[in-house]
Amino acid sequence: MSTAPTVTSGAGADDPVPPPRASAPTGTAVSPVADVPAGVEAGAAGWPAGVPAAEPDEPVVADVEPGRVRWDPAERRARASQSFWTAVVGVPAIFSVLRLGVEAGGELQTTLLLVANVGPVNLLAGFLTTAARLLSTGLVAVFALGAVLGVSVDRLPPGTRRRPLFARWADLTPAWLVLASFLLALLTWPLLYLPLLLPAFVAAFQLRPGRLHERVAPRLLLIVALLAGYGWLVLPTLRDAGGQGELLALALIVVPPVLALFIAGPLPGLVIRPLASVTEVAVLAMLVWAALPVISTPVLPLTVTTVGAENGPTEDVRGHVVTTDDVNMVILQERGGVRYVPVELVRAQVLCPSEEELPRHRLRIHDFHVEDSLLEGMGRRVRPVHRIDAACRAPS
Amino acid sequence: MNARSAQSRLRSVATTLAVALTLTLAAAAGCDSRQEPDLQSVQEKLRETHIYGQSKLRIGVATNEPLMGELRNGQHVGFDVEIGRYVAASLGYEGEQRLEFVSVSTEDRIPALQGGTVDLVVSSFSMTEDRKKLVSFAGPYFVTTQEVMVPTRLKDRIRTIEDLRDPAYKICTSGGSTTEAELEKHQVKTFVVKDVGDCVDGIRKGRYDAVSSDEAILAGFLATFSKEFEIVDMPFGTSELLGIGVPIGDPALRDLVAFFLQKSYQQGRDGQASPWQTAYNRTLGPWLPAEKRQPQPLDVPKLVDFDDKAPRR
Repeated sequence: MSTAPTVTSGAGADDPVPPPRASAPTGTAVSPVADVPAGVEAGAAGWPAGVPAAEPDEPVVADVEPGRVRWDPAERRARASQSFWTAVVGVPAIFSVLRLGVEAGGELQTTLLLVANVGPVNLLAGFLTTAARLLSTGLVAVFALGAVLGVSVDRLPPGTRRRPLFARWADLTPAWLVLASFLLALLTWPLLYLPLLLPAFVAAFQLRPGRLHERVAPRLLLIVALLAGYGWLVLPTLRDAGGQGELLALALIVVPPVLALFIAGPLPGLVIRPLASVTEVAVLAMLVWAALPVISTPVLPLTVTTVGAENGPTEDVRGHVVTTDDVNMVILQERGGVRYVPVELVRAQVLCPSEEELPRHRLRIHDFHVEDSLLEGMGRRVRPVHRIDAACRAPS
Repeated sequence: MNARSAQSRLRSVATTLAVALTLTLAAAAGCDSRQEPDLQSVQEKLRETHIYGQSKLRIGVATNEPLMGELRNGQHVGFDVEIGRYVAASLGYEGEQRLEFVSVSTEDRIPALQGGTVDLVVSSFSMTEDRKKLVSFAGPYFVTTQEVMVPTRLKDRIRTIEDLRDPAYKICTSGGSTTEAELEKHQVKTFVVKDVGDCVDGIRKGRYDAVSSDEAILAGFLATFSKEFEIVDMPFGTSELLGIGVPIGDPALRDLVAFFLQKSYQQGRDGQASPWQTAYNRTLGPWLPAEKRQPQPLDVPKLVDFDDKAPRR
C-alpha cells in the first residue's frame, strides 16, 4: 500500500535494530518520520551514527506485549494519512491517463493529441464526475464491513490475533472521512440503490435500535413511524414495480430498511474469518469490475457536427471535439480516427446523449427516476426540458 | 444468564443474516447496474427500419387540401405536413436537406407505399380494416367525421342524406376514399374524381352540387372559399380515424411512428405544448366548429429513450 521510503531498509541485516521495533516485519516497518535526529537511542542499541532512525515522537514502550509490536497511534495516523492522500491524488491521475489511451482507441498518436489538448484539471474533473459513484461505493463497503468485523473481533477463536484488514482500515479512518464517504454515496448513488446505504450506515457506526430511545415502547413507536414515512415515500414506486414484475427493484426498496434494524452487533466467531476473506476478495473484484466501464467512459462530450460547403451536400460527423482553432476543428470520431474539419465548413453542432445513458427501469420515486442520483435528479429539475436533436439519431 | 446468552446468540445470528442479505442485495444491485436494458430502445428500433442509414426521408402528402396538405408558394404547408415534419424530426430527419415531401393523390397513397416511392404517408389517410391488409397504420393522430359541403345557394335545399339521394343533385367525392364507400352504403349516387379539390372546382364551375369528405378536409376548403360554401352536418354516424401510413413490411417503422405520436399525446395530456397542439393551432384550429384534442394512438410499443429520465411534472 504505502510508498513511503523505508528508512530502516538502509540498515544491513546484521545491524542491530533498535527497540521497540525489534520484531517488526521489515516490509511493514515503514515510517515517513525520517527527520528525527539520528542517534537518539542509538547509544544504547548501537545504532550506527548518521543513519536516520525511524522513531515515533513519543516512543511507546510500556504496553509492548512480548512477540507483538504496537505502533504509536500518532505515527500510524500519519502513515495512513500519507497513504490516503497518495491514493487520492495518484489513483485518479493514473486512471485519467489510462482513460485517455482508451478514448484514443489505443492509437499512440491520437493519445498524444488528447494529452496535448485535454487539460489536467478537465481530466481530473471529468474523472471525478464519472468515478465518484465507484469511489464512494468502495469506501462505503470497506467502512461498513470494517466496522462489522471490528466489533466482532473479540469473538475470534483464540490464537488468531491479527485483526481483519478492513477492520484495521476502519479503525484508522477518522469519522469525518467515513461520514464524507456516506455523503458522497448519498448524492451519487442511483436512487434505486440508496436504501442499501441505510444498513451500511448503521453497520459503519454500529447504531443499534437501542440508540433511538432507552425504553422499548417509544423505541418501537419511533421505528414504526420511520418505516411508515419511508413506506409513504416509496409506496407508489412499489406498486409500479409490482405491476412491471421488477422483483429486484422491489427487494432493493423493501428489504434494506428492515435489515438495518438487525445489522449492528457482533458476528459469531466462526463467521468472521471467512467473511473477512471473502469480502476482501469481493470488494477488490467489485472495484476492478466497476473500474472497467469508468476507464472506458469518454472524457470528452459526444457531439454531431454537420459539415458541408454552402448550398452543397452536408455530412454528419459523430464524435468528440478535441479542440478548435482558427483553421480546424479537430474531431475524434466515434468509430475511430481523427478528422480535421476546416472551421468554415462547420454548419451546425449538437450535443448528443450516448447509448450507455439509456435507462434500464421505468420506475420513479415521486417523479425522480430511480436510476438518477439525487444530484442528477435535482439537476433535471433545474433544466427539465431535454430535447434530443434529430442529428443524434443519425447512424454513427 | 442462560436466557441472556441465548438472546445474544440469536442476536448474532440475526446480524449474520442481515450482513449476508445486505451483501447479496448489493451484489444483485451491482449486476443489475451492468445489465443491458430489457426494453428495446428507440435507437435499436430505428436500426431495424428500412429508413436507417437513408440520407433522406420521403413523406407522401396531399398538395391540394387546404389546411391539411397544400403547396403554397412552393412550400408544403398544412396540418398533415406539420405532423409529418414532427415525426421525421423525431426519426432523425430535419431540414429541407434531409426531408422530401412527395405529393400523392388520394388514390395513389397505397400504391406509393407499396411501390416504395414514399417511406410514410401523412395525407388524411383513414385507418380502415380493408386498408390495413395493404399498408400499416400508426395512429390515429386525428379523429374526424364525414360531412357534406354545399354551395351557399343550395344550403337550404340539401339538408339530409335523403336529399343527397335526390338524382337532381350531383354529389362529388374523391376516388379511393372512405367517403366513397360510405355514400355507396347509403345508396347515394356519386361522381368520383381524383381529389376533393377537383370536386370543389367542379362545384364552383357548376358541374356538381355538393361534395362529401371528412370534416378536416372540407374545413380547409371552407377556409379558402368561406363566402361560397357551407358545411351541412349530416348523421353519417361513422368517425374517421386518420393515421400515418407505413409500408406493411416495416413494423419497426410503424412502431416508432406510433411511439412518437404517443410522446406528443403524453405531452399534451401533461399540459405542455405538444407538437400536435402546435400544428393544430397553426392550421385547423381556427376553422373547425368545435375544438379537438389529439386522440390516443393505438398499439404503441414500450420503448426507452434518452429523455425517459426527464421529470414529467
